[in-house]
Amino acid sequence: MPTQELGGKQVEVDEDGFIQTPEEWTEAVAADLAKTEGVAEMGEDHWKLVNYIRDYYQKFGIAPMVRKLCKETGFKLKYIYELFPSGPAKGACKVAGLPKPTGCV
Amino acid sequence: MKPRQEWKASDFGMPSEQMTELDPSRFLKLPPPYEDWDDGEMQSLSEDQKGRIEHSLDGVTAIGIPKPASPEEAEKRVADFLEGLRKLLTKEDNWTFLQPLLLSMENCVKCQTCNDACPVYTSSGNEEIYRPTFRGEVLRRIINKYLKPGGKVMAAFRGNDIELNWGTLARLAELSYRCTLCRRCAQVCPIGVDNGLITREIRKLFSQQLGINVDELHGSGTVKQLQVGSSTGMNPTALMDIIEFAEEDILERTGLNIKIPIDKEGADYLVMHNAGEFLSWPENLQAFAIIFEIAGVSWTLSSEQVGYDSVNYGLFYDDFMLARIALRQARIAKGLKVKSVLQGECGHAHKAFMPIADRVFPAELNVPRESCFPLLEDLVCNEKIMVDPSRNDFPVTLHDPCNITRSMGIVEPQRRILRKICPQFREMTPHGVNNYCCGGGSGFAIMQGSNFPDWRNKISGRRKFKQILDVFQDSIGPETRKYVCAPCSNCKGQFRDLLGHFDAWERCRILYGGLVELIVNAMVDVKEPFIEWDFH
Repeated sequence: MPTQELGGKQVEVDEDGFIQTPEEWTEAVAADLAKTEGVAEMGEDHWKLVNYIRDYYQKFGIAPMVRKLCKETGFKLKYIYELFPSGPAKGACKVAGLPKPTGCV
Repeated sequence: MKPRQEWKASDFGMPSEQMTELDPSRFLKLPPPYEDWDDGEMQSLSEDQKGRIEHSLDGVTAIGIPKPASPEEAEKRVADFLEGLRKLLTKEDNWTFLQPLLLSMENCVKCQTCNDACPVYTSSGNEEIYRPTFRGEVLRRIINKYLKPGGKVMAAFRGNDIELNWGTLARLAELSYRCTLCRRCAQVCPIGVDNGLITREIRKLFSQQLGINVDELHGSGTVKQLQVGSSTGMNPTALMDIIEFAEEDILERTGLNIKIPIDKEGADYLVMHNAGEFLSWPENLQAFAIIFEIAGVSWTLSSEQVGYDSVNYGLFYDDFMLARIALRQARIAKGLKVKSVLQGECGHAHKAFMPIADRVFPAELNVPRESCFPLLEDLVCNEKIMVDPSRNDFPVTLHDPCNITRSMGIVEPQRRILRKICPQFREMTPHGVNNYCCGGGSGFAIMQGSNFPDWRNKISGRRKFKQILDVFQDSIGPETRKYVCAPCSNCKGQFRDLLGHFDAWERCRILYGGLVELIVNAMVDVKEPFIEWDFH
């Protein structure tokens, strides 16, 4: 499994750069992951989205459905794509330290 | 590198860094507004990945097979493969599919009639190694040379030689994931040879004997589904949260206060949806709930692990996993004492739980199972729900999921619905049992690793994208909203990627979605439009 320098430490990632152990996640790791997803700097709305995804994941063991994500954050999907160009699943969830989405989603 | 048209099965065992380099300038041409579309280069693996991962077929990796650590390990894997091949060819170890496999292996006369029917072969610009007969021929030569008495002497003499080594196997394993198992080849074959089935059996051999399979289908797929309840990771607690949200959302969108029934014993139907409908396309799940509520259908969902996710990726690569999942689902249906299990809009789940599960169910688990389409046809066409077609007055076409239409023959119910509720419904050419795959079949739509999505969007989905553009040519501009009705979760996932890859929402305003969403959009009991013209 490849590793990558994120937040000042070596972190195990999969072939697509998703971190393998959620416990390794810190805000500094997130900021570096964001750079790999075309986000130069994490702004307030980036954090709002990422924190919601993380909280939901810790509670339910899964990423929130996109529709719920939009409703709860008040962000339109189009705006989420502006925040994270690779989208909620590949972009925002990766920055939030979730594993790569699996199954028919 | 040899010119691509000169590749032969015998070259498959020759050492080479990469057999073929895909050339986008040869790919199938697209109609307006994509006549000048630039496909760019094929996405290649990084140098680091090339050092670790097998890519000697075409530079693409679906599986991500690690290179063997030593020559001894490589040799052992070759021996394992031959052991698995022997099993594949014996009744005791392959009672599920031995007969159709042998009929196809022994009777193909290589007339190549199937070539032009294959969307992957033709979209790639007739890439030799993607010929539908190519993998079968590699396997046949291995069997003839390495398993039959005197085979090694005869191989060179007959002119059908092949070298079996680790490279041969790594390429063959990857090649079994360059076919979407759409089975158009089998359909046009004059004697019914099924190269799709051969491909699936090659995947099975690799999975069951060598543990070589695609993580999205196996570790994060069937294994996770059996452990957690769904390959998406959706456990029963998450399911209940999602259902609660879906109910509130229905109320907000339509004013209808609907309770989604859970674990209702003795209901007429246990409805099984693909988990994607809960997580990515909840409008589909909601539309089913609205239609059944208004029509007074007795139904329920299950909240038991595996019972709420209809998927069964075992269909694509492994009989053990296929059987384990199908048996769990059947037991849940038995436990709920429902009259029948109704499959929602998911193609492979239709096939896995109906005709294929027939091969593995013992008599006591042989629960009645049916497709949602005839029931929906009855509700719409016999006016158990009232519709106003003028609400769907935009161009609509129907994508036929291969498993539902070609493989199972469910062709007309969905069309009779669309003819009734969509004034601008039009058919693609060809359609029905002759349809083209969306390009995401056999698990491809969920395989998101490495450079595989690039290959899928550029090659396996290309023929379907061309069909969609062709059918909407009269109104191709972004000023007209258009709808591709794709009543299959896997196909929807592929359309999301494919239309996104070609930026077809921005350029042409082409949206995709299911069938029930169109029905609810036209229902007179639902006051507001149900379809949100928002690409997601």
